[in-house]
Amino acid sequence: MLSVNNIVKQYATHRALDDVSLKVEQGKIFGLLGPNGAGKTSLIRIITQITAPDSGEVIFNGQRLNADHISQIGYLPEERGLYKKMEIGEQVLYLAKLKGLSTAEATKRVKYWFEKLEMGSWWNKKVEDLSKGMQQKVQFVATVLHQPELIILDEPFSGFDPVNADVIKNEILELNKQGATFIFSTHRMESVEELCDSIALIHRSKKILDGTVTGIKEKYRNNTYWVEYDGNYDTATPSEIFDVLQKEVQPGKTKLKIKLREEKTANQLLSVLLPVVNIHRLDEVIPTMNDIFIDQVKTQN
Amino acid sequence: MTLLTPIIIAGFYGLMIYFSINGASDTVSRIAVVSENKTLTEKLASSKNTSYVYVTQSLAEMKIGLLKSNYDYILYLPEFSLDAPAGIQLLGAKQPSLSVNNKVENDVEGIIGTQKLKESGIAQKDLDRLKSSVDIDNKKISESGKEENSSAGATTIIGSAAGIFMFMFILLYGIQVMRGVIEEKTSRIIEIMISSVKPFQLMMGKIIGIALVGLTQFILWIILTTAISTIAVKAFVSDKNIQQSTTAATQVKTGTPAVDKEIAAKQIADNSPVAYVQKSLASLDITKIIMVFIFYFIGGYLFYSALYAAIGSAVDNETDTQQFMMPVMMPLLLGYALSLSVVNRDPYGDIAFWLSMIPFTSPIAMMVRLPYGVPDWQLALSMILLIGGFVGTVWMASRIYRVGILMYGKKPSMKEMIKWFTYKN
Repeated sequence: MLSVNNIVKQYATHRALDDVSLKVEQGKIFGLLGPNGAGKTSLIRIITQITAPDSGEVIFNGQRLNADHISQIGYLPEERGLYKKMEIGEQVLYLAKLKGLSTAEATKRVKYWFEKLEMGSWWNKKVEDLSKGMQQKVQFVATVLHQPELIILDEPFSGFDPVNADVIKNEILELNKQGATFIFSTHRMESVEELCDSIALIHRSKKILDGTVTGIKEKYRNNTYWVEYDGNYDTATPSEIFDVLQKEVQPGKTKLKIKLREEKTANQLLSVLLPVVNIHRLDEVIPTMNDIFIDQVKTQN
Repeated sequence: MTLLTPIIIAGFYGLMIYFSINGASDTVSRIAVVSENKTLTEKLASSKNTSYVYVTQSLAEMKIGLLKSNYDYILYLPEFSLDAPAGIQLLGAKQPSLSVNNKVENDVEGIIGTQKLKESGIAQKDLDRLKSSVDIDNKKISESGKEENSSAGATTIIGSAAGIFMFMFILLYGIQVMRGVIEEKTSRIIEIMISSVKPFQLMMGKIIGIALVGLTQFILWIILTTAISTIAVKAFVSDKNIQQSTTAATQVKTGTPAVDKEIAAKQIADNSPVAYVQKSLASLDITKIIMVFIFYFIGGYLFYSALYAAIGSAVDNETDTQQFMMPVMMPLLLGYALSLSVVNRDPYGDIAFWLSMIPFTSPIAMMVRLPYGVPDWQLALSMILLIGGFVGTVWMASRIYRVGILMYGKKPSMKEMIKWFTYKN
């Protein structure tokens, strides 16, 4: 539903985005990853029409991005803020009306969301009277109130305690189930693993990686396993099936990190070990997004 | 604050007037005059605040005994010829104020002058006839040749007051705009705002919103101040009016027919100072002044608030605004200072003309000029230039604003702002 084609954004002293293209599919949660200063925020600002690209275009639901789409996009920036001295009920209403909702409709929805996130009693409180976490909840409500088709969240979990972070995560999943598409920019790789369907990795203004999460991890699989057992197995003797990369001996158990040879399977590994030792567990080493991120960025450097 | 301010201002002025009438004039300076001067025979006359007592002691004796005596100062008149007075001293334990010093100087000059006149043969009663109090009546001649009452005093006051108010308002509300922009930047709400509206809409919305607040306050002030002063005038002045007329009426010869008495009383009432001021105010066409004031307030405010919005967008906090405030305030201050001096002194001259045309200074200068009368074409030209002026500054400011509001951490400078000006959208 969103197509970013060959975007270039040049500021006076440096190029923020260099020929960046990506596609976001309807109804999916898309992760926009990258080190600090990579260009993620610049790209997000182009999608939300805060700035315009120097060249390239953004296609939204088949049309060139234009002012009509403002009401269909919700944006939660990384640096959050609200008018300090304004009451939150009034303020969220105001922001919703800016996105095109009528007062009646907006009031209904604000009430609904405040109840849902247990903020019902805060309607008349001023923003500056709330704690940071509460302010962020308010801001989240303001972002999703107008039921946008595309919701862009820049570091949505920063500033939330684990309980509230969980609440927000569930809201994101629920909205996604109802059909909203998400673009999600973050450094917290665990949330990427949990939530994202596809990702794109931006580094130094270029896109260096994109694809589905499962697809990328698949590419990184290299037949490495951890096997834990107790008993004696002589790792010094070479095997046809596997190579031992690492060995950890602890009281009562031994852990081996092994890599299967070409065309060998885990079953064959097990058949070698079973007669000799008691197997506790066998885990495939699938790199985390964290590892992939670091690896990719390091390679580029 | 809106309601309180007119009360505070009225109270302020009331206090000032009260003290200038009553306050300082209660102290009496007692001066012992030691005169060794044989030629100066005229004596100094005591007045309300200065009492002269000619003493016979010598200067040295007076000096020793001064602190214990009743006197505040010693005036020492040595021997001198009337053509070259010299060596006069005013001695005292404390420093005499400027007004006391001046009063004594004037009095001494006075008696020397009187004596000289007398020695040249002029009699005392002729001397008295030399003095006459002159009060010039101002009349303005309109195009049809009719006379209208005018008053230089009232015109200056109205013009200056309008100029001062204009300066104050533009400054006050312009700075509010700047503060609002900075608050949006520091609270970081700016980013979600401009994902919903265009920067230009945001800037103009803020400027217009604060303009409306300013106008509301101003109109409230006018209403309240007029109400308070009308009540005050009615309460205080009408009593005096009555007193004056009665005193005047008793001065009319007794025995005159009742009709004459009435006519005389009416004449006196008409010429009383209050009626006078009211008539000259009427001749100034107050409605026109207020309408023009509102136009120039809006125009001047739009002109300057756009600049203030641009400054606010360039900085991250209020302390950084100092370096930009100066260049923006300079023309306003200049207009204010020049208007109150040059334009007041010569409202029909070249400087006054140009000051009331250039959009930077025209709001203030034109307001000061207006009570003196401005040809319609000049007024129209100035207004058009002001409109063009604020269209220009708004356009310029919006180009800086749209970049500045998302810039954080950069130390802003004029060069930086010019760069932003040229950024493509």
